[in-house]
Amino acid sequence: MEALFSGLSALYLAKCDAAKTGQVFQAFLPASTLVRAAERLLAADYYIEDICAVDCAEGYVVVYHFDHFEAPGRVTLRVLAPHASPVVPSIANVFHGAEWHERETRDFHGVVFEGNPNLIPLLMDPDMADCFPLRKEDKARAKAKDMLEAGEVVYCHPSFTLMTPDAPAEAKESGGDKPATA
Amino acid sequence: MNAIPAELLNILIGLVAVAASVGLIGLVMVWVERKVAGHIQRRPGPYEVGPSGALQPLCDALKLVGKQLFMPLGADPILFWLAPVLAFLPVLLLFLPLPVGDGLQALDVNLGVLLILAFSGLAVLSVLLAGWASNNKYGLLGAARGVAQAVAYEIPLLLSVLAVSFVAGSLDLAQVVKGQGTWPWNWNIMTQPLAFLIYIVSALGETNRAPFDLPEAESELTAGFHTEYSGMGFGLFFLAEYANMVVVCSVATALFLGGWHGPVLPGPVWFVLKVSALMLLMVFVRWTYPRVRFDQLLVINWKWLLPLAVANLLLTAFFVKLAQFA
Amino acid sequence: MTTYQNNDHLAGDFYTQNFAKTAGEGNLILNLGPQHPSTHGVLRVVVELDGEYIMRAEPVLGYLHRMHEKMAEVKTAAQFIPNMGRVDYGHALGWNWAFVGAAELVGGIEVPERAEYIRVITCELNRIASHLLWWGAYLLDLGAFTPIMYAFDDREKILDILQDPTGSRLTYSYYRIGGVAKDLSADCIRRIQEFIPWFRSRLPMYKDLVSDNIILRKRIEDIGVIEQEVCRRFGATGPVARGSGIKYDVRRAQPYSVYPKLDFEIPTSNLKCARGRYDVRMAEMEQSLRIIEQALEMMPEGEVLVKGAPKPSWKVPKGEGYFAVEGARGKIGAYVVSDGGKNIYRTKLRAPGYCNLSLFAEVSQGTILADAVAILGSLDLIIPEIDR
Repeated sequence: MEALFSGLSALYLAKCDAAKTGQVFQAFLPASTLVRAAERLLAADYYIEDICAVDCAEGYVVVYHFDHFEAPGRVTLRVLAPHASPVVPSIANVFHGAEWHERETRDFHGVVFEGNPNLIPLLMDPDMADCFPLRKEDKARAKAKDMLEAGEVVYCHPSFTLMTPDAPAEAKESGGDKPATA
Repeated sequence: MNAIPAELLNILIGLVAVAASVGLIGLVMVWVERKVAGHIQRRPGPYEVGPSGALQPLCDALKLVGKQLFMPLGADPILFWLAPVLAFLPVLLLFLPLPVGDGLQALDVNLGVLLILAFSGLAVLSVLLAGWASNNKYGLLGAARGVAQAVAYEIPLLLSVLAVSFVAGSLDLAQVVKGQGTWPWNWNIMTQPLAFLIYIVSALGETNRAPFDLPEAESELTAGFHTEYSGMGFGLFFLAEYANMVVVCSVATALFLGGWHGPVLPGPVWFVLKVSALMLLMVFVRWTYPRVRFDQLLVINWKWLLPLAVANLLLTAFFVKLAQFA
Repeated sequence: MTTYQNNDHLAGDFYTQNFAKTAGEGNLILNLGPQHPSTHGVLRVVVELDGEYIMRAEPVLGYLHRMHEKMAEVKTAAQFIPNMGRVDYGHALGWNWAFVGAAELVGGIEVPERAEYIRVITCELNRIASHLLWWGAYLLDLGAFTPIMYAFDDREKILDILQDPTGSRLTYSYYRIGGVAKDLSADCIRRIQEFIPWFRSRLPMYKDLVSDNIILRKRIEDIGVIEQEVCRRFGATGPVARGSGIKYDVRRAQPYSVYPKLDFEIPTSNLKCARGRYDVRMAEMEQSLRIIEQALEMMPEGEVLVKGAPKPSWKVPKGEGYFAVEGARGKIGAYVVSDGGKNIYRTKLRAPGYCNLSLFAEVSQGTILADAVAILGSLDLIIPEIDR
């Protein structure tokens, strides 16, 4: 599984316990390598389950779920889209079904998927296309590391702090508060 | 005092009788269709109004009459209202040459079959007008289907009728009936079974009945060519459909099933019984089968019915000629 | 609104205009729906027609969008369960299960064994009801009026059975976090036992009268061929994937509840066309009967709700979880992210019909209008579920 993400400058790779989280592996990627990761997943016969965004304090964490028909096990890709300019490359040209999921995420969170062939409102009224119902107010936002499952870390980029716990006991070398934006 | 010619009087009485009976047949057929459909579908059908719901069609008809006549924006008003009238009026003429009993015929014309086929061809015009004038895309698609279908199915219908005419040596329906006998083995269906089959299938197509109800295919075209018609505009199409059914079944009875011939009971009773049986068959078919697809419909016609009908006609002609020499 | 290009020179609303601007010369733009007899509710498909051939199709959603995911943000987990019944009226218990399962996963709650069996029994009954609804409506789409009456006759019996424990007939909210709301009564179990042989005797009749009909076969064979690769790219699951020969069923692939203890098969078909999906669903009803039969025998006595089950105000602990169940239309997924607050931080509902419908545009290309209706029906669409 790790081999799948080699050379993609992944920020964070972790194994997860399927019995507790329903996922077997997760990868936090920079936006730049997302499309290549999707291509590799397609080549490895994965299918797309869904795409959604979680509005965290650090930005919109866009979550991609993939699964496999023959060797079941959910793989989660995550990409961070900063609040100021939430732009993520589209994988709709790799997994064509992603087009709708991306449009839905744009409707709900305002995350723009660059390269989506038809990024018009899907579920929301076109007249209300610029009000995003699932965006949270600043004070209601929680930190990603408090909610998202850390899992058993396989690799963590030194500058990546989004998923690593705040506790100083971990004694990470970096530990800057600045979130890693790709 | 100049006496009115008996011929004209005959036609006049016939027309009045036909007009009255078409309305009545329409009401009865609506009731029969709904009742049969109900029982096929494990439900009672209409039963609230009158005995066994017998007055239900009357209520429906009153409701239809009371409805506002609505015309969509951008429709062609003349053609739009001409279409249902054009659908209904020729049907009245179709009833005239039908031989209900021995000598019981509104118009004894020696080209009766031809008259019926000619006027029933007008029905397609009304479908085209209705679909075109509605300014509705479903209507247009329905009309296009209707024309293609009617043009296609008229040919095997005609050819199968011709085969019978060859045997009988006449295009007069009364003459064809007279050529047949009392018992089923004396009927034309025994000598022309293939023609009968082709006729029945084509008749379903010609009258736009399921499984060939493509011009009004509900699940694809909402209601096809009559999507935009309300009230009696729709009512006339509806009535015309049932009247057309009666006509094709009557012609089938006269041509293939011995017309008024039958043991014991008087002629007209037999005629009505045979027509009713055929109508019931059509109702059964409608509530049993799914709808065919449009290209399949045309394939059935051009690749199966038409060659078969031609072959049947040639064979019949050959044997008729052979019989003349013998 | 300034985000989008102005196409006011074209007729129609925003979606029609957006669709029509790339239409071919002389082609007809037709809006199938949102009010149309064969879109089962308020699905709208804009199609570009050349004659009766579909050049392009684009489903337009959102007419039944209720934003359940937003509602989840203002309700506690227990309060959100009734919403799940409203997501999909066809297989409401499948959705119940997906959400409840996700909450249990994150909360680490065990479910009593009897409750698991009750869930299996009711969920499978609901699956049969859903397939019957699809079967009747699909044949109605194809122009056969009668089968839906027979289907509803059978479905009525299931609704009567489920009415007893669940208290409702369509939009169930029966499962609880940690079990189910009510035990099956002895009378209910007897009725289920009576239903199984009765329905089993009906299936051969459906096969003889409907499935083998030549007109039906001509209408659905080789129509809407979906390759396995297309299933992967669009994420199609359930009978749509199985009709393309993919042996994938969440009940076996990612086993949950007591399904591993039950003996049943996953029907697949290699036809890949509408006929394949039809056959799969018909076979699934038989398998569901088998499951119910076994579950009734194996069901132990005991509690149906775990002791100390979460109260309505229960807070889902911090963490995330994805729980998927096999719904009548495919993989129903509930992805829950909780920050430990009163309400769940983010709930994502994965609707199988949504993914299945998204491949319609590709599959319908080049078919004729009547086939499009046959393909749409074969995907088994429940619009509330797609729009959520």
